[in-house]
Amino acid sequence: MRKVLTVIRKEYLERVRSKSFVIGTLLGPVLMSMFILVPVLVADKGGDEHRTVGIIDLSGEVLESLSFVLADQGRGNVELEPLDCGARDRDACVEELRGQILDGTVHSGVVLGENFYDEPRATFYNQSVSSLVLREDVLEPALNRVLREARFARVDVPESVYTYLSGRAYWDSRSVTAEGGEQVQNEAGSFVVAVSLIMIIYMMVIMYGSHTLTAVIEEKSSRMAEVMLASVSPGHLMLGKVLGIGLSGLTQFGIWALAFFVVSQRGVTIGDFSLDAAMLTPTILVSFVVFFLLGFFLYATLYAGVGALCNSIQDSQQFNTPLVMGLVIPMMLLSLVLRSPDSTLAVVLSLVPLFAPVLMFMRVCVETPPMWQIGLSWALMIVSIWLAARGAGKLFRLGILMHGAAPTWASLVRMLRS
Amino acid sequence: MTTNHATLPAVGEPLLTLRGVSKAYGTKQAVAGVDLAIPRGSIYGFLGPNGAGKTTTIRSIMNIILPDSGEILLAGEPLGATARDRIGYLPEERGLYRKMKCVEQLAYLAELKGVPRREAMERADVWLERLGLTENRDKKVDTLSKGMQQKIQFAATFISGPDLVILDEVFSGLDPLNIELLREMILEEKEKGTTILFSTHMLAEAEKICDAICLIEGGEVILDGTLQQVRERFPVHTVRAAWRDETEPPTDLPGVTRREKSEGVWELALAEGVVPDSLLELLAAAGPLTLFSANRPSLGEIFLAAVARHRGEVAA
Repeated sequence: MRKVLTVIRKEYLERVRSKSFVIGTLLGPVLMSMFILVPVLVADKGGDEHRTVGIIDLSGEVLESLSFVLADQGRGNVELEPLDCGARDRDACVEELRGQILDGTVHSGVVLGENFYDEPRATFYNQSVSSLVLREDVLEPALNRVLREARFARVDVPESVYTYLSGRAYWDSRSVTAEGGEQVQNEAGSFVVAVSLIMIIYMMVIMYGSHTLTAVIEEKSSRMAEVMLASVSPGHLMLGKVLGIGLSGLTQFGIWALAFFVVSQRGVTIGDFSLDAAMLTPTILVSFVVFFLLGFFLYATLYAGVGALCNSIQDSQQFNTPLVMGLVIPMMLLSLVLRSPDSTLAVVLSLVPLFAPVLMFMRVCVETPPMWQIGLSWALMIVSIWLAARGAGKLFRLGILMHGAAPTWASLVRMLRS
Repeated sequence: MTTNHATLPAVGEPLLTLRGVSKAYGTKQAVAGVDLAIPRGSIYGFLGPNGAGKTTTIRSIMNIILPDSGEILLAGEPLGATARDRIGYLPEERGLYRKMKCVEQLAYLAELKGVPRREAMERADVWLERLGLTENRDKKVDTLSKGMQQKIQFAATFISGPDLVILDEVFSGLDPLNIELLREMILEEKEKGTTILFSTHMLAEAEKICDAICLIEGGEVILDGTLQQVRERFPVHTVRAAWRDETEPPTDLPGVTRREKSEGVWELALAEGVVPDSLLELLAAAGPLTLFSANRPSLGEIFLAAVARHRGEVAA
């Protein structure tokens, strides 16, 4: 056991003292916030660009109201550019509008029918599919309101009745706490926290998993494998490496967590999203740490096994892909699990050891799955880690006998069986 | 130093014993029933051509591969994880962690052999001084010349103070100056009581340094013993002779297998068991003899004779 500690010490110090560790620790949060906050900020600001919309109002009644409603709805960035048809017929007029769209004078165009309030027809002219957002989010609601208001006015509905009829329900979400109480739910906030935590698991596992791969291959590329095996058993060497690298990852994460805590104590608000440690319930925190550790060790031992089999990083590519898939697939399944976290499919998928760090943790964040499911996923991961560690040790011992030849899937199976 | 010498056998008694060690890779029998007894305090040559089974045998001793059958004893005890700490091993396939400082590298490898951290650092400094590398103490290994790196590897093998050291092709790739330096160090370590298993395919190197040898071919031991014993068992000699005039040796000399002339001196190879004295009279009778010398056989010649004899036995 003392030898395992010696290996842990060497691997840990070698990493923590390296320049890349310092840089990574500083840049990590920056990258992380870019991943999470940039989409949030962009979504907030989206659709703010100035747009000129050419409009042919054959009824002559709508344009003014529409401009007013747009301004009222805070869409001042959409400017209506009326096109006067004069004595020309509709076709000639639309042709001019198409020309303006083509030469960029206007971004897109709307043609409103002659008896708009009786026969509400509008045609949207545009050059790209992306203009759909402008039509659906801006022009449509505004035009509908114009129509509604005009029709109410026609039948002499008083202002007060109109306001009464167009009333909307106010929604408020409460989450039920474990103690049977309730608390105001900040859905956007908890969702962002859940996704951030999953991103952290995902990135740390990928990053430190591949560190393990490199570290094991280093034993071979520096031709130290046989020297090391003369002193340490392959299982202990693998264990020492995985733990040493894991500890350096935890150190980095610890630094980030501390920084997060300090920042959240002062309270920081970015856009609509406020950084608040209170969103992290004890259940989420505990399962985060467990899933983080188990996920890391599972992937690290698998990567160690791949490294033990290969003589160079190039050799490892073919075995690397399925491992990365093990993390990418659950990321793609996230929305499925998010929509119905307790469906049979979601339950089964989240129990698969390779997927559990992402999917089961997501379920813990959005609901509270039955304890037995959480427990089972942990147990399955622990068994997988144990098997992977044994396999990695075996492959490392056998791997030194096969210098030169690039490994294949067939040789992998043969070696694990022997 | 680190181990309890009370458990060691007396000098000359077997320190490492192999009994019937066999290992096959698929259908290929790499090692077939190897028996060895390496006397404590000796430099024991483990000789044979490439592919004879030397490295497989050594890896079995180091527990890197598991032999199919047979037992391996160190000082009479079966080899376990703790016994491995008493053996230093410098494999043919060897390197260093390139990004590690010299002193840390040595200390790390000593620690992995069970030397406490503090003492490992002290010993690393002692070895760096002994090798004249003190000023490179805190330099990373990849800034060192190849010769320096080889010295570090050598020191790493001995730093834990092992009872037995296994050197596999230790001189390959070294320049003559470094070979000489390492040979002196090996002899120094032997003086201190370390037993050394010296594995090589270069028989001439082994002849200069070994006390006892074992020849292995096709996974089998075909000859072993002290150099003296081996020579007695394979009395293969050559005779060098020259005459004042242009006399040639008679063509019908008994027991001569080969005759060659170079720079006026005839060299006659004798069949196994033929003693040089028996030729003296016959050669003197041929003409005025100016040179007659009987030469001990080289290990290379013994090896060829042993292989021939072994193959004869196998065929018969």
